[in-house]
Order: sequence, then structure tokens, then C-alpha cells
Amino acid sequence: MYGKGLKPLSIATVAMLAVSLSLVFFYAPLDADQGFIQKIFYVHVPLAIVALIGFIVGGVFAIAHLRTNNRKWDAYSYVSIHISVIFGVAVLITGAIWAKASWGHWWVWDEPTLVSFLIVFLLYATYYPFRYAIEDRDRQARYASVFAVTAGAFVPLNFMAVRMAQSLVHPRTFATAEGGMPGEMMLTFLCMLVAIGLLWTTLVKFELTAKSASGQVKRLRRALDAPVGGSSSRIAPEVS
Amino acid sequence: MTPSRAAFAAILAKDLRSELRTLQSLPAMALFSVTTFVIFRFGLDRTSLSGSLAAGVLWATLLFAAVLGINRLFVAEREEGGFDAIRLAPIDRSVLFGAKVAALVIYLAALELVAVPIFAIFFLDGAAGLGPLVAVLLLADLGLAATGTLISSMAVNSRARDLLVPLVLLPLVVPLMIAATGATEPLLALGGPSYHRFGTWLMVLGLYDLIFGLVGYAVFDFLLED
Amino acid sequence: MPELATLLPLAAPALPLDEAGKYVAGAYVVFMVLLVVYVGIMAAKLGRIERELRDVAAIAEEKKDAQAAPGRGSEAPLASRGSGGGGTDV
Repeated sequence: MYGKGLKPLSIATVAMLAVSLSLVFFYAPLDADQGFIQKIFYVHVPLAIVALIGFIVGGVFAIAHLRTNNRKWDAYSYVSIHISVIFGVAVLITGAIWAKASWGHWWVWDEPTLVSFLIVFLLYATYYPFRYAIEDRDRQARYASVFAVTAGAFVPLNFMAVRMAQSLVHPRTFATAEGGMPGEMMLTFLCMLVAIGLLWTTLVKFELTAKSASGQVKRLRRALDAPVGGSSSRIAPEVS
Repeated sequence: MTPSRAAFAAILAKDLRSELRTLQSLPAMALFSVTTFVIFRFGLDRTSLSGSLAAGVLWATLLFAAVLGINRLFVAEREEGGFDAIRLAPIDRSVLFGAKVAALVIYLAALELVAVPIFAIFFLDGAAGLGPLVAVLLLADLGLAATGTLISSMAVNSRARDLLVPLVLLPLVVPLMIAATGATEPLLALGGPSYHRFGTWLMVLGLYDLIFGLVGYAVFDFLLED
Repeated sequence: MPELATLLPLAAPALPLDEAGKYVAGAYVVFMVLLVVYVGIMAAKLGRIERELRDVAAIAEEKKDAQAAPGRGSEAPLASRGSGGGGTDV
């Protein structure tokens, strides 16, 4: 029953988002260095952190799928990765906006975190064509889980390698924003982090509920000997 | 010899013998590398390279040549029922993974034996940096082989398999490339090889090899279930 | 103080408030737009599920009528509800 608990979860998400956004614009002090632009961080960084955790969670679900062979874990893994990819798009676009505002260019190679995230995003973007290329559903689910596990192991390694590639000791504004953060900023940041985390969870649950509903309709059709029509996705795992 | 070790040796020997007899991948990979060097010569409009440019050209070329070999790694297994044979054999199926990784490392080493001296002749001023480069090449080969074997084994059973390997493999080997070029760049510097952060980069390569070797070994069993 | 003024643009790329405001607003707008687009896509999915349920309900009613009509004067097994719905070809 995926829909159970969705309502209180979404209410909590909305409440947390409202509170956090208010904190961002009415409570958090103005950054001495970056000025008003620093406010972008309150949405950009939590989205990034939650997306990365989401990818790793997708990998953990994939491990569960491989070990139990229960298809529901594959569905959880797929949806986790799917929502994290969408968050990833938001991360990259807000990151580009921040880069343009800070340095005048839409993209900078100097920010190791942003570059690492791009590489991770590119990898997970291949998850869809990868699944699409494997026709047998059982095998597709299994291979996708292997992909999710491998990619999950890749994430920390990638961040480390890219960080090491930075030869310039560039004034990493992200670090200065995080490191010497006054209490009000930290509180605001943490609230936004919780809010975005709740948002991710709500969207995953929402997506799973929708899939489950579709699955129930198919089940009904089959029970009534009715034609199982409608377009069924080649890649999105079914939930029933 | 335990059955696993015997199987490992058998599969490896079979692959190497088959490659020596048919020469499907290696000449193509070598030829591709040399032609790519020529393309870089004209694309960059340079006749000599050093430092980061040299490292970049060398590693990009080796990577793309490797993809050619990786694409073909499991074709024989798929066409001649090698996967079924492994499934039926009373051994740990990850042996196939180990044997394929070993074969791929040997192919890559053979490729580099041809491509790197030619690269030096084409673009480098002296061969001074090439000695320590061997360590970088070996460690990078291991990582490339582990990840390549993993992806190739999944791609071989899909449609558009030639597309899938480069698509999925390339992002995965970015950290490997970062470390390899990071170590190579000072080796090929204009004034002679230097070892700035050489040890660190080798450690990163080793870490990459370890992680992907372990991941590949652990999940390979699941890939062979039918 | 003039030295500070020359240092500031290097260390602090702080744009004037009205310009900075546009970028910050842009970032939050992107976030909102993506969220709303997602909601829109899910709304479309929900519409499709509703349509399919409507179809299935119609099919179920048809079957129920088909059962009720010829089943009036025939054997007992047809009357049992527990026949799993699918095997009603007599």
C-alpha cells in the first residue's frame, strides 16, 4: 500500500519548505563575501546532497533486489534514481546560474563539486538507455541493479578524484560559505536540507503509488480477461 | 590445481589463443591508435607535445582504442554458448570475470607496447618519462579492464551493444583518466620528467582498481543467471 | 579605503542587489518550475489511470450483466461468486 502515509508526508514537506524558504529570505543574514547571490546555495546545495544520497539509496535498493530477487526492490531502485536524476537537473541549472552570477560564466571547471556532480549525472543519465537496450524484463531488472550498485560505488570515488585534480588553490566559495558559517545560516541550511529530503521522499512515494495504481488496473484487467491494453513502459518496472 | 584456478587458466588460454589465431581486436586497436595520433597532429596543429597536452592525447587515444577491444570481449561467449558452459560448470562463476579481466589487461598491454613507442616517436622529445609511465599504464589497464569487463558483459546481451559500452563506460572511467593523466603530465613535461604527486595518483589508480575489481567480482554472479 | 575598493571586486564577486536578485530569483524559479512540471506529468498519469479504471469498471459491469442474464435458469456453479472472475466461459 504505497499511498498510505503519503498525505501526512506531503503536508510535512510543504510545511518544512514554507518554513525553510521563509528562513532563507527573512532570517538568514547576508553573506559578507557574496552578498545576495549566496542565497542560491540554500536551494542548490541541499538539492545536490539529497540527489547524491538518492543515488546511493538507489544502489542499496539494488543490492536488496539482487539478493532477494523481489521485483519491488527494482522498482524502488528505479524510482530513487529517477527522482535523483530530476533533482540533478535542478542542481546543474541552479549551479550554472550561481556560476554566472559569481564569475560571469555559465559554467566553470574550477568548482570540483559541480564538475564531479556533472560526471555523476552523466553516468546516471545512461541508466535509461541502458535499461531500454535490454529487452528481457528479468534480465533488465538484474542488470539495472548491477548498474545501480556500480554507479553507487563510483560516486565517492569520483568526488575524490575530481577534487584532487584541482591544482589551483581557488578560493572555494562553497567552502567559505560552509566552513565559517554563522549559526543562523547553518540553521537555515539544515532546514532546507530536511525540506528537500522530505520532498525527495514524497516524490518517490508519489511515483511508486502511481505505478502501483497502474499495476492494480492491469491486475484487474487480467482478472476480468479484458485486453491488457494501454502503453506499458519498456523500462519502468511495474509495481503491483 | 583447484577447479576454479584450472577454469581461470583454461578460459584465459582459450581467449589468448583465439585472439592470436584470428587477430580480431589487437591489430584494429593498434591501427586505430596510430591513426588517431595522426588526427590529433592535424587537429591540434602540433608536431610535438609535452605536459598536459601529451598526457591528454595519449590517454584519450588509449581509452578509445580500449573501447574497441572491450566491445568485442564477450562476443565469442555469446555466440558459442560460453555463458551456458560457465553456468553449468561446478565452479565460482566470477572466475569468468577474473579470466576476462586478465585477458583484457594483456590486450591493453600489447596495445600499449605498440602505441606508446609510436606516440613517443611522433610527439615526444625524449623517452625519459616512459620508464615510470609503465607503472601508470599497468595500474590504469587493471582499472580499465575491470570496469570494461563489467560493462561489456552486460552490453553483450542487449541491443545496440556497440553503443552501450562507450556510453556507460566513459563516465565510469573519468576518475581513472583524471589519475592517469595527473600522473603522466609531469612525466612528459618539457624540461624532463618530474614526479609531482606521482605516488598520490598511483594510489588513486590502485584504489580505483580495488573498488571496481571487487564490485565486478561481487556482482558478476548475478549477471550470469538466466 | 580606496585599496579596499579595488580589492573587493577580486575577492567578493557581489553584484548589486537588484542584479543579484534576478539570479537568485531565477534559481528558485527553476526549482519551482521543475517541481510543477513533475506534478503536471504525474497529473497526466493520474488522468490515464482514471480513464483505464473507467474502462475496466465498464467491462466488469458488462460481465456481471452477462452472468446475471443467462445464469437465471442454468446450473449451480455459475451462481457461485468465488469462481475467480476469469473462468466464466460456459
